[in-house]
Amino acid sequence: MTYVVTENCIKCKHTDCVAVCPVDCFYEGENMLVIHPDECIDCGVCEPECPVDAIRPDTEPGLEMWLALNTELAGIWPVIDEQKEPPPDAALWKDAEGKLAHLSRNAVSA
Amino acid sequence: MTSTANLSPADFTSDQEVRWCPGCGDFAILAQMKKLLPTLGVRPENTVFVSGIGCSSRFPYYLETYGLHSIHGRAPAIATGLKHTRPDLQVWVVTGDGDALSIGCTHLLHALRRNVDIKILLFNNRIYGLTKGQFSPTSLPGLVTGSSPEGTTHQPLHPLSIALASKATFVARSIDTNAKHLSETLRRAAEHKGSAFVEIFQNCHIYNDGAFDFAKNAAIRDDHLVQLEHGAPLVFGKERNKGIRLNGSQLEVVTAENGDVPSNLLVHDELSPTATIAHMIAAMSHPDMPEAIGVLRAVSEPTHNELMHDQNPEPAERSAALERLLRSGETWTVN
Repeated sequence: MTYVVTENCIKCKHTDCVAVCPVDCFYEGENMLVIHPDECIDCGVCEPECPVDAIRPDTEPGLEMWLALNTELAGIWPVIDEQKEPPPDAALWKDAEGKLAHLSRNAVSA
Repeated sequence: MTSTANLSPADFTSDQEVRWCPGCGDFAILAQMKKLLPTLGVRPENTVFVSGIGCSSRFPYYLETYGLHSIHGRAPAIATGLKHTRPDLQVWVVTGDGDALSIGCTHLLHALRRNVDIKILLFNNRIYGLTKGQFSPTSLPGLVTGSSPEGTTHQPLHPLSIALASKATFVARSIDTNAKHLSETLRRAAEHKGSAFVEIFQNCHIYNDGAFDFAKNAAIRDDHLVQLEHGAPLVFGKERNKGIRLNGSQLEVVTAENGDVPSNLLVHDELSPTATIAHMIAAMSHPDMPEAIGVLRAVSEPTHNELMHDQNPEPAERSAALERLLRSGETWTVN
């Protein structure tokens, strides 16, 4: 199994998960994080840290698309191993619906 | 099914829910083990994990191999008996610093000196975690725990030093979250013929968080770790400008002023017939010295099973010899 980052992360991108991950397996895009499934050790420490409940174990049903997305984007985006400030408008997007349409596939800008 | 060609991590993953604290280093070790096992050419039903008592000793539950969650400290003895009678099996021992170095310390020594072909993994977190935080045989002086409210006062045991003193033929160290290094070290241990001992720095982030920060924190670890490679000089440091040199009877750190690699450094020899230098490397302790990871020693000696076989190669004759021993006189009848 692995944990995966899901839709709630988009445009929120809190990085509390990054601060606790023991193996630095989060990768950073412009407005979302993903987990590298081959590097995740399934320890679960990140799941309760996420303020917007975006991290789920892939053993939950219906997450196939998110597993594929995490796998793909982790191969493109750079690793993030230090916590940083969330976007200034993160709170506005917390409970927004249909956030997938806003996903940027771009890596975070250096 | 006898083929080992198409095995995958899923073939070695049990249906049990993994129960360690979220963030535990044990997850990282389990993850690498599940990736490694399918590549070793041994089927799950020919693989056995024997553990003692402690957080680490939950390991066998999570692998779809044979497993025995055994008696506190006695995993090496049980594994010895198993390998003695079933030399066809690949036998691993999973233990911790409390299990292996306190209640089970003498079992560990004797399994190693007998060169039984078992692979002993010691998850060292320098704390008793399962019993909620008491100092262990590897806790550092001054550590405040539930059982040492004013700090521990004793010197820690060095697992590598103990393994070397016990004549272990393979001695190595790695780090839970260093996936590549850990995987390669475990592979070397698996492929070694004879007793293999691997100490793994394992973070207990509940009761002893950061115990190995010097070795895991990317910002500082390069200045506090020497990665051993057979035939290579002991060079370390973020700038790769520090090294270990033998000065008289002591090891010392030397730093090149001009940014080059220092000269006259100790060259690592894992095959050395004497373990003298390995003992010195094993004793290097943070913060005075960098600590070593990698294979300290890997030498070839006859295994326990080979020696027993050579002593009496015929199975029928071995049975007969046992029978003669049992009926050899010097017996008493108790009324």
